[in-house]
Amino acid sequence: MQPCYLGIDVGSVSTNVVVITAAGEVLSSLYIRTHGQPIQAVKEGLRRVKATLPGDVIIAGAGTTGSGRYLAGAIIGADIVKNEITAHAVAARLEVPEVQTILEIGGQDSKIIILRQGVVIDFAMNTVCAAGTGSFLDQQAARLGIPIENFGELALKARHPVRIAGRCTVFAESDMIHKQQMGHNIEDIIGGLCEALVRNYLNNVAKGKEILAPIVFQGGVAANAGIRAAFSKALQQEIIVPRHFAVMGALGAALLARDYVNNNRETKFKGFEVAEEEFRARSFTCQGCSNLCEIVNIEEEGSIIARWGSRCGKWDTLGE
Amino acid sequence: MKKVSFAHMGYSYLGFKQLVEDMGFEAVVPPSPSPATLDRGVTYAPEYACIPFKMVLGTYLEVLERGAEMIITSGGVGPCRAGLYGMMHERILRNLGFNFEIFIFDPPLTGLWPFFIKLRRILKAAGLSWLAFVDVVRRAWAKLKLLDELEQLATSIRPYELKRGETTRTFHSCLKIVDQARTLQELAAAREECRQLLQNIPRDTGRRPLKVGIVGEIYVLLEPFMNLEIEKTLGEMGVVTHRSIYLTQYTATDVLARGAQDVRQLAHPYLNQFVGGHGQNSVGETILYARNGFDGVIQLSPFTCIPEIVAKSILPRVSRDLGIPILSLTIDEQTGRAGVETRLEAFVDLLRQRREQMEARSNAALLPGY
Amino acid sequence: MALHIGFPRALIYYTHFPFWQAYFNRLGIEIVTSPLTTKAILDDGAREAVADACIPIKLYHGHVLTLKDKVDAIFIPRMVRTNKRATFCPKFLGLPDMVRATLAHLPPIIDLQVDAGRGLWGLWPTCRGLAELLGCSLWRAWSAYREGRHHQHAYQKLLLAGYLPLQAMAKLRGEAVEAPAREPGALKLAVLGYPYQVYDQYISLDIIGKLKKMGVNVWTMEMVHPARLYRLSSRLPKRLFWHFSNLVLGATYHYLQQGNIDGIIHVTAFGCGPDAMVDKIMELDIRKLSRGQLPFMSVSIDEQTGDAGITTRLEAFVDMLHQRRGNR
Repeated sequence: MQPCYLGIDVGSVSTNVVVITAAGEVLSSLYIRTHGQPIQAVKEGLRRVKATLPGDVIIAGAGTTGSGRYLAGAIIGADIVKNEITAHAVAARLEVPEVQTILEIGGQDSKIIILRQGVVIDFAMNTVCAAGTGSFLDQQAARLGIPIENFGELALKARHPVRIAGRCTVFAESDMIHKQQMGHNIEDIIGGLCEALVRNYLNNVAKGKEILAPIVFQGGVAANAGIRAAFSKALQQEIIVPRHFAVMGALGAALLARDYVNNNRETKFKGFEVAEEEFRARSFTCQGCSNLCEIVNIEEEGSIIARWGSRCGKWDTLGE
Repeated sequence: MKKVSFAHMGYSYLGFKQLVEDMGFEAVVPPSPSPATLDRGVTYAPEYACIPFKMVLGTYLEVLERGAEMIITSGGVGPCRAGLYGMMHERILRNLGFNFEIFIFDPPLTGLWPFFIKLRRILKAAGLSWLAFVDVVRRAWAKLKLLDELEQLATSIRPYELKRGETTRTFHSCLKIVDQARTLQELAAAREECRQLLQNIPRDTGRRPLKVGIVGEIYVLLEPFMNLEIEKTLGEMGVVTHRSIYLTQYTATDVLARGAQDVRQLAHPYLNQFVGGHGQNSVGETILYARNGFDGVIQLSPFTCIPEIVAKSILPRVSRDLGIPILSLTIDEQTGRAGVETRLEAFVDLLRQRREQMEARSNAALLPGY
Repeated sequence: MALHIGFPRALIYYTHFPFWQAYFNRLGIEIVTSPLTTKAILDDGAREAVADACIPIKLYHGHVLTLKDKVDAIFIPRMVRTNKRATFCPKFLGLPDMVRATLAHLPPIIDLQVDAGRGLWGLWPTCRGLAELLGCSLWRAWSAYREGRHHQHAYQKLLLAGYLPLQAMAKLRGEAVEAPAREPGALKLAVLGYPYQVYDQYISLDIIGKLKKMGVNVWTMEMVHPARLYRLSSRLPKRLFWHFSNLVLGATYHYLQQGNIDGIIHVTAFGCGPDAMVDKIMELDIRKLSRGQLPFMSVSIDEQTGDAGITTRLEAFVDMLHQRRGNR
């Protein structure tokens, strides 16, 4: 019997599942697209991760994080439901214990976390728009007709990256089209896009933060060599990309779950079987006032296990 | 010799350069604002500060790196934020580890004594007597006035030029001539020479250009880089522009005296309160342009500029009541040249069609039955 | 039938409503407030108001719209100054004009000026002007004014005692309100920002309520006497021009000086002009005066800000504070 810990990070773009050993070794990790269907994604993730695990593994604790953390937590019976900042910090600290700065860029959000002596002392997340996030690159890649996987490689070939103005994707896009029409080559445009993303990130998300080494860069976008290069150019520092950069949130959730149940607590994890159960999210519009809140009921095999969505809190308690 | 610098605002840097040099300092002339200047300002400025704040911060970073030891700038009495910019710039720059002196001059009417004290400290540093200082100021003022006059003249000639771009070229050679002139006599001679040069530009006087008034916030109005050279662009489209603010007139009426009372009075039916900056002026001047038969008005405002937001929400009403088309352009670091040019072209087309329609209608009224 | 005057539940509602309600009621005038902010009200305001305006101004337009067919007149005082040292933000100064130019088919707008910087009489000149407008005798206006002041004082006292504005108003109306309680040993957070931004539960996404649910003791700027806030705000080499901004900065210094709070949260509206300055000063001064020891987070809110995003930030901030405490 090997006690292991499960972490799930449900983001708007991807859902990540990680299983770690008690020592913190990653046994299995998975990165799948959420496609706007978090329930399906969680079930799919559980099913696939189960298939990769050795038979003697039992899940002794489970944690969830990400924007869909409450939903995922309700489905699997998580022991701990944590926000992404804490989860990312915990995971980065495992890989680079002296880390002082974490740059994280995901699909639709990005954050910076500042740690000193291993403690989070400051953080920031992108506010309104997507310019400092991965979806900015996705959109522009689609526009240029270049697979996002080739982006990094092409960016590195840029000799004179063009300056693309715009903190907002819409503005940046029109500026990029303008540059294309002026006849700049594609490598320089892609290089310029990478620099624009990094500039937007540093000017908006990371504004006013003291960025000290060691700097860890994680999140899906860390796979992109062009962005990594743009960061080290802009910060004049070495950028460390951890082994499991794409699933750091889930890794953090698993670590948090491990620490939580280690105080001799029984896990609430319902088991991998939940992947075969019927979960439904039903929503209705509350007509109580003109806010017209969308109330969501999460049903497991027909009975309601969680509910949220009202601003006034009227529906927060489950009527048994 | 102490190295002194100041903010860049339109062509006034020539006047301030002379002022600082005549006082016996070494002038660190601020470079013309560029995208790089703006980038640096944006990096350290609050995200929702207006673009003048960011640009001036970028300029200060550049001059400090070039060795400036003292910055002279203006303050203000609010409620426009610009009155606090000196203080904010100083704090941000000090926080970045720069060491420098800064003199922020609030309008003398709000506090004659602090104004006097600050001035005395500067003069002491310069080793200049009050009498000599008066002379220095007189020359700098004459230069600033000349620069404004020439800019106005160039603006009025540009729409008629036969060879596109010639006025702007000539104006830039005028700037060089003015830069060389130091004494009042030399300035007078430079004035003659430059006027001659501009007047000699070959023109087609048969044109009937549209007339457009430009109102808005002072910095984006005065700094061509900021407004994407709107006056040049419009002039070369064959449009006569009239700008509501020039530095010397602004200094004379708003800073030293009680302000452009008449224009603000005009705004009263729509905006019965001074809201800081040029918000109330923008409304009043729009009314003035409408009354004087202008074809349209363009309002330039920095993104998040509070007084201009107030004006902007009122201008559509003025436009409806007085039947004058108004184009509001908001400027920030995102503003791209292509976008502004498209909008300007469309606006000019609209004004032209409107004029043709109105003329057709009045012709019809003149000739009944035809 | 009594005259009905509309009072939008936005902007100065949170600071001055008790005064005006008592004043008008005493004159026999019915005050009609707009309902609590809802999505519909915000959407309507955002649609009508000029696009560059900040959320509170857009919201105000929305509240005016809900009142327009229900009242004989709408009271939109032009807030210029309530003391000699500062004015209100230019958007307050031009508020009646903006509303009038933007919204069509409004009932008459009562836009008398409140400019207490000119004399010693506070709101009295405005009240006198109102009485003339409404055809009341000066004597009645004076007693109504006294009544208003009385209510305002009672309101102030409740705020200083730790009641939040909406609770304090409910208590003044005679409703049963729980006395403010403090959890001993819990995290202490100062939540600072303009009252019309912090206490509108809709646009603030109920930040205070959320923090309380997490077991945090919340402190605000209304719990400190305004005179002290003003005194503290004069630490800056140049006082800010705007009334509320001075209060927020004063509160920042107050809580910094007290030294027994765990963190400061600044709640600000996207596109707020004065806050571009205030937020930067807070960031620099909190870092400097606490030698980098006091965590500070600024939360900027716009029409699109989602509940989930705010919850994540608050949870992360509270987590961080717990960690720091544990580390000490």
